[in-house]
Amino acid sequence: MGKMRDKLKQYLKPGYYEKYDYHWGMTIDLDRCTGCEACVVACQAENNLPIVGEKRFKERREIKWLRVERYWEGEYPNIKLRFIPMLCQHCDQAPCETPCPVAATYHNQDGLNTQIYNRCIGTRTCAVYCPYEVRYFNWFTYKWDEPLEQQLNPDVTVREKGVMEKCTFCIQRIRQAKDHAKDDGRRRVRDGEVTPACVQSCPTKAMVFGDLNDPNSRVSKMYKNPRGYKVLEELNTLPKIVYLKKADSDV
Amino acid sequence: MNKISRRDFLKFIGAGSIGAGAGLLYGKSTKKTVELLLPQVIPPEDYSPGIATWYNTICQQCGAGCGISVRTREGRAKKIEGNSNHPVNQGRLCAMGQAGLNALYNPDRIKSPLKRTGERGNNSFTEISWDEALTTLGSRLGNLKIQKHGDSVYLLTGGVRGHIDKLFATFMEAMGSDNYFHYDFTHPFALYEANRIIFGEEIIPYYDINNANYVLSFGADYLGTWISPVHYSLAYGHLRQGRGNQRGKCVQIEPRMSLTGANADEWITCLPGTEGLLAMGLAHVIMNDGGYTGSDQNEWMQAVTPYSPSVVSRQTGVEVRDITRLAHEFMKHQPGLAIGGGHTEGNTNAVASLTAINALNYLSGNLGKPGGIIFNPEPAFPNMSIKRQANYTQMLELITAMTNKGVDILLVHNTNPVFNLPPAAKFIEALHGVPLLVSLSSFMDETTALADLVLPTHTYLEAWGDDIPEPGVGFPIASISQPVVKPVYNTQSIGDIILALAHQIGGELPVALPWTQTEDYLKDSWKKIYQERTPVDATAGFDDFWKAALMSGVWGENKTRPLIKFDRLSNNQIQKIHVSQPSFAGDEKDYPFVLLPYLTQTFYDGRGANLPWLQELPDPMTSIVYSSWVELNPKTANRLGISEGDVLEVQSIAGTIRAPAFLYPAIRPDVIAMPIGQGHSHYGRYAQNRGVNPMTILAPEVDDTNGALAWSATRVRITKTEERIRIIKTDGVTRTLGRQILGNNSVHT
Amino acid sequence: MSISVRDALGTFKKPAVISIIGLIGFIIGYVIDVTVFSDASPVQPINFSHRMHVSKNSIPCLHCHVYADKTPSAGVPGVSKCMGCHKVIATEHPEIQKLATYWEKREPIPWIKVHDVPDFVYFTHKRHVLAGLACQECHGPVENMDRVTRVSSLKMPWCVDCHTKKQVENGRDCWTCHK
Repeated sequence: MGKMRDKLKQYLKPGYYEKYDYHWGMTIDLDRCTGCEACVVACQAENNLPIVGEKRFKERREIKWLRVERYWEGEYPNIKLRFIPMLCQHCDQAPCETPCPVAATYHNQDGLNTQIYNRCIGTRTCAVYCPYEVRYFNWFTYKWDEPLEQQLNPDVTVREKGVMEKCTFCIQRIRQAKDHAKDDGRRRVRDGEVTPACVQSCPTKAMVFGDLNDPNSRVSKMYKNPRGYKVLEELNTLPKIVYLKKADSDV
Repeated sequence: MNKISRRDFLKFIGAGSIGAGAGLLYGKSTKKTVELLLPQVIPPEDYSPGIATWYNTICQQCGAGCGISVRTREGRAKKIEGNSNHPVNQGRLCAMGQAGLNALYNPDRIKSPLKRTGERGNNSFTEISWDEALTTLGSRLGNLKIQKHGDSVYLLTGGVRGHIDKLFATFMEAMGSDNYFHYDFTHPFALYEANRIIFGEEIIPYYDINNANYVLSFGADYLGTWISPVHYSLAYGHLRQGRGNQRGKCVQIEPRMSLTGANADEWITCLPGTEGLLAMGLAHVIMNDGGYTGSDQNEWMQAVTPYSPSVVSRQTGVEVRDITRLAHEFMKHQPGLAIGGGHTEGNTNAVASLTAINALNYLSGNLGKPGGIIFNPEPAFPNMSIKRQANYTQMLELITAMTNKGVDILLVHNTNPVFNLPPAAKFIEALHGVPLLVSLSSFMDETTALADLVLPTHTYLEAWGDDIPEPGVGFPIASISQPVVKPVYNTQSIGDIILALAHQIGGELPVALPWTQTEDYLKDSWKKIYQERTPVDATAGFDDFWKAALMSGVWGENKTRPLIKFDRLSNNQIQKIHVSQPSFAGDEKDYPFVLLPYLTQTFYDGRGANLPWLQELPDPMTSIVYSSWVELNPKTANRLGISEGDVLEVQSIAGTIRAPAFLYPAIRPDVIAMPIGQGHSHYGRYAQNRGVNPMTILAPEVDDTNGALAWSATRVRITKTEERIRIIKTDGVTRTLGRQILGNNSVHT
Repeated sequence: MSISVRDALGTFKKPAVISIIGLIGFIIGYVIDVTVFSDASPVQPINFSHRMHVSKNSIPCLHCHVYADKTPSAGVPGVSKCMGCHKVIATEHPEIQKLATYWEKREPIPWIKVHDVPDFVYFTHKRHVLAGLACQECHGPVENMDRVTRVSSLKMPWCVDCHTKKQVENGRDCWTCHK
């Protein structure tokens, strides 16, 4: 009984891990972000996102693991447009993880919110639970017009009908960096060694990615920036993406 | 024991064999389909299975000349990223650049040489061999050359640069023709001319946004489509948050909010075409408040006298206090930059406006200093390409020559004048006077569809080439483009085609162009750079130099920007600075709105419309995909009873098009805007028959000074039709509605 | 009137016998399929013998499967590699002549995959080889096989068992192997 209670206690802890092996996190500086959407295409290219076609867009069944949301503020002529890239926040208390009946989505030891395609049975419950609406469901098996399929990234599964998918923080790149580290006889991945496709492409260097367990990593330092905030923080999902809000001009 | 009857025996046998058969089938169904393990016949040296090989080359989606690294696996291109060695984009890349893979593996590429069989424009072609294609074209060219009619051969390309440009030039010269032009709709003709007026040279200098404290942009969408967006985006990021507590300010002045406008600290609108007048107004304030104390003070004072804030305020619609405030801010927060582009470049007074904007940099003393305008040193090899750019008026000369049967062969490469010229130019009609139209293109675009002979070219990811980025980065660099994959289809590189033609024609052409492969030609040309310029390691031979350049994708001399001083302007030059009111095609009463067509980040001038990733990329400002739309201010829409999705008839003196309305909150009520890029009648399955091309209703207004097309100088009227469609967009609610999505301090409305 | 169970059964006798025979046939068919036409040991286009190469001629695995300790894929040798030796060795052998035909036509040999994992699995030879695993631990005694036979199921429980036994770091995390 006591053992059971201990186990329960452990699961009640955020993320139910004593300590994460790595704790991957990201910061996005909205003062640098211009909303150019280079990251969106980078993600599409890296992660084999399907070309869904006009009809599916009409049905709002597009798949973009990373999208740029836009919000207008004010009215003409004193009007502003603000952009915010929205992707899976890899929450440490992810609402999407609890309802999955087959544990196809869970938190792993690196603090990543996983999505295991071959385990997923397509109940779509996780997508309903996600407050950020960053989970996308494959309503169809999408085809690539020949020879566009030659572009597909062999390191990433091509998903088919009935499977939920979402941002993985480019798990294939994390895996590769760990592989390189092992080749060099290192236990740990160096800071800056893993760059997800979106971070790599960003023309204004608005995104920073790294290990939050390492206090000297760039992302840990950016985390402490006073402009930092988390989206929908009040839901206590403990999102791992910190946005740095747009600064005011001191001129 | 009962005897088994014969009938039963057969039944048992039958049951047994059906059962066994089913068992066999079931066993088979549990197994996977046979997969083959095909070895390489001769394993290539440059890759191992399962490991990516990266090739550095040049992006050629627009004219910025970014360096790219292409990730290949097992001989196929998988991803394009920026080349971190390249000073232009420093490892970063825009959406359009990354979508280059869609061009390489596009299902609608031209797969072999084609010959027209039916009427021109009927889209009936038959496949022919390369031999036949080259012999046909070579003999036609050869005959003209023998008859001394080489000058009736015309070559029109897009913005080809580097040694491929030189190859074209040498070829045409040897043919005895000086009719070699470039036509690129996005070429900033007015900016080059304005810079020639002030700086004395047809150049684009290095705009050092990186170190500027104040960027005053008159319509230049430098984060989206202006000249070198990735480089400027990098600089913008640095300006915002890269310098500790010192955060630069960006002000954007334009009638319709561009992506840069959305990111600016301040977005100000003025009447369309009056940006130059506003710049003169600022200059007036600067002069009168003693902001400028140069020796030519009096000349400047004279030049700006007619532009007092009150006058300019009336002309531009910007309030007097804003004019004075902007002028003071600009002078106070030095170094600063005044740049102009976008719609400022599309008016009849564009050159004059940009000259006035340049003058602001002169007055604030920003020329030749960090955070201001830095002049590029001599490039590694001369860039002749800009001189060959034909503007609208020069294109009209070509069209006249075509109509008058002065053009026997028109070679078109990587440019699409049928799509990118207003119909008023009558390019299609003039083609009747051209006996042979040859298209050297990878795609069946509108111009290629009218060709008699189509020679499909490699995409830039399959071909050799080189480039001097224009504008430069402040120090001399040159980059190499190399094939990253084997050709996907039966195509040839443009360089190889030209060299093959030279050998086919004979005479002095093979003497001028002795090479048979572009790679050899390129290597020989780079030997000159190697000899004339100090290589990094002087002891290394050329082969090492070449290999190092290929590996890094870029060759550069040093990384410091030499500051070249700028002399004073002559009094004569100063006196000439004068901005007049813009003029528009169409009477204001009948056509109440000014039409602002704009380049998009996704399609640019329409060339990106055949790439599915870009069709599916939500427009950054509206989130619309897969279509065209008309942007109008909600107030205007309200007044006219228009709501989103109502199909509008947009009519100018030149024509009418129909597109759905989109209520765009950040546009002047007296203008409407439309994106350029859709409305292709050809160009493959992703682009075809989608949206409209606003170019088709542009009146042929030209710039007063240089004769370039004034593409923002057409007035239109809009009429609501009965039809209504749902605009396909990804955005839902575009207000935060009090949710803390953008951080605590954001304004809630 | 008595009701005989026997008689009652008798009416079902024939169909029952037929279905039993059918079932036995089904099982025999299935067994024949998985043993005789087994995908664990497919007939290859060239009757290549690992026994001949490894046991008799002592060629180490990595001599031909050159990438096994370098990349995720072990790599099957190129036709040129085979010809490197067989230009001079055993050229008269009918199987080698098959090889020579492929080489002359510059065609790859269409080997049938024996060991294959689904596309959603990330498997890397390099990490396993560098961790000190002998090839035989997964592939079985290939050095004694004339025709390669798969001895391991290559199914997930088999992978996880080994990962658990060897206490592989994060060896049971889905994202270690699923991509």
